[in-house]
Amino acid sequence: MKTPSKLYFYVALSAILLFFIAVWSLDTGVYDFGDRSPFEILGKVIQGDTSVSSSDKYIIWEVRASRIVMAILIGSMLSVSGTSLQGLFKNPLATGDLLGLTSGATLLAAITIVLGRHFRAFLPEVIQFSLVGIAAFTGSLLAMLLVYRISTSGGKTNVVMMLLTGVAISAIGFSLVGFLIYISKDDQLRDLTFWNMGSLAAATWTKNAILAVVLIFSFSILMPKGKALNAMMLGEKDAQHLGINVEKLKKQIIIITALMVGSCVAFSGTIGFVGLIVPYILRLLFRSNYAFILPLSAICGSILLLTADTFSRSIVEPSELPIGILTAMMGAPIFIAILMKFKKSMQ
Amino acid sequence: MIKAQQINYRHKEFFILNDVDVTLGFGEFLAIVGPNGAGKSSLLSVLANEVKTKQQILFKDKNISDWAVTEISKHKAKFSQHNSNDIPLEVKEIVMMGRYPYFDAQPKAEDLQATNEMMFETDVYHLKDREYNTLSGGEKQRVHLSRVLAQLQNEITQKLLFLDEPLNNLDIKHQYKALEIIKNFTQKENSAVVVLHDLNLAAQYADKILLMKSGKVAAYGTPQEVFTAENISDAYNFPCTICDHPITSNPMIIFG
Repeated sequence: MKTPSKLYFYVALSAILLFFIAVWSLDTGVYDFGDRSPFEILGKVIQGDTSVSSSDKYIIWEVRASRIVMAILIGSMLSVSGTSLQGLFKNPLATGDLLGLTSGATLLAAITIVLGRHFRAFLPEVIQFSLVGIAAFTGSLLAMLLVYRISTSGGKTNVVMMLLTGVAISAIGFSLVGFLIYISKDDQLRDLTFWNMGSLAAATWTKNAILAVVLIFSFSILMPKGKALNAMMLGEKDAQHLGINVEKLKKQIIIITALMVGSCVAFSGTIGFVGLIVPYILRLLFRSNYAFILPLSAICGSILLLTADTFSRSIVEPSELPIGILTAMMGAPIFIAILMKFKKSMQ
Repeated sequence: MIKAQQINYRHKEFFILNDVDVTLGFGEFLAIVGPNGAGKSSLLSVLANEVKTKQQILFKDKNISDWAVTEISKHKAKFSQHNSNDIPLEVKEIVMMGRYPYFDAQPKAEDLQATNEMMFETDVYHLKDREYNTLSGGEKQRVHLSRVLAQLQNEITQKLLFLDEPLNNLDIKHQYKALEIIKNFTQKENSAVVVLHDLNLAAQYADKILLMKSGKVAAYGTPQEVFTAENISDAYNFPCTICDHPITSNPMIIFG
């Protein structure tokens, strides 16, 4: 079997693709750099060349490059969280947004924004972000635990219950966030709208650094779990017989996916469907072999989100289309496709 | 190999297993037989440490729940009755799961060899590139049989195999073939505990029989000792006659 080399081949291929998309994204935008190319300026910024004008430097480094890196980090984490949840629930419909993890995170983040105004201004930037981040993580973890408790018993997932619990959590989140919008002040309102729409426009290097730490920590735990997630398809007891510590695995997936979804929501708001689209396409190519789709979903998630984000800020120049619209346009038909396939297998 | 005494297992007030003693020696083929709802599968689950009971189960003289999950998976494997129908993978990928205790990220040459050998043995090698979901019930059974056998391909002596109704859905040829494989396995000091429905097959292949009725051991011993007309009619509540198998001279049970 040539499995390992095949995996490395696809990983390398998609990484190269990601690189080219990043190059294209860096070159896309309304700002005019005069006769110099954005790459030349980026090179000079990295070398610390002082001849670059401050506005050129700001656009290339603080706006475009940081946004590209954020798209890569967020896309990767959203996509891997979807893949892991699908392994845990043994169903291709399980994703952070459909299960209500995103709503849970948004709700607690919104509460922190509106009610945290009294002490927030006194804290340094890192803590400020962490405060919303911790709230978002808590929200998604609570949602996750609730969905898991309600929809699984004895190692079996009731898919209808799983999705309905997600709907219920989203409804709670929606109504309470609506209430918070109603009572909030102007500047908070802007923040809340941003959370609901989802956007990568607020990217900064501080945020990227935090996201990168979360990503490295999460992936170091999740990436070796391909085998274990495959074995889970046999059922929990049989997975246990194959030497997999099922209880520990479940706990790890629940906490780590909540952490990833929470951090993504804290920094970019609710960007839906990434965790649904990427694993769906990978499954068409590699079936459900998690040893393949787990590492590949990390890179392909970045590809998807970076492409979508570059389109969202270029097709209606100089204005910007909310990125959630683009991902939903891709994701909703896939959602329907999975449902139709599911209907066939139920009959 | 296994020592378990006075196992009780109950669901609410109803005793599924009531004071069951099991002792299994090295190289023994133990068949658990009995009518529906006698507690055969529950006993197997308890012995394989899938459900916890208060009583200790000793596996190789060490409490089975004290074994590390990763270590014990090289000593024992279990073939379950209810195998999942929907696993969107290829046959060879499922058989390779049996080797998961042995490699980290990528299968080694010996893992590929073990899976290939076992796929040959169980006659699924020609299906190795097929989608599992497109197989028939009997073929799926054989894939899982090949998976649990691949799991125990190692240098460790005295391994243990649990099989819960492995012959379901298999045609005659593959029923015999499966039992031959299990028998061969037990002849190398390994042991097997198998839940069987066909008493005649159990009589021909097993070294020891455990006949169960309503959560209790109705009879235990060699096929000759257990398969008496009285024991069987009593346990199954159905008349039967016993005669000698013309070739092996093991007991042969004719119902009706």
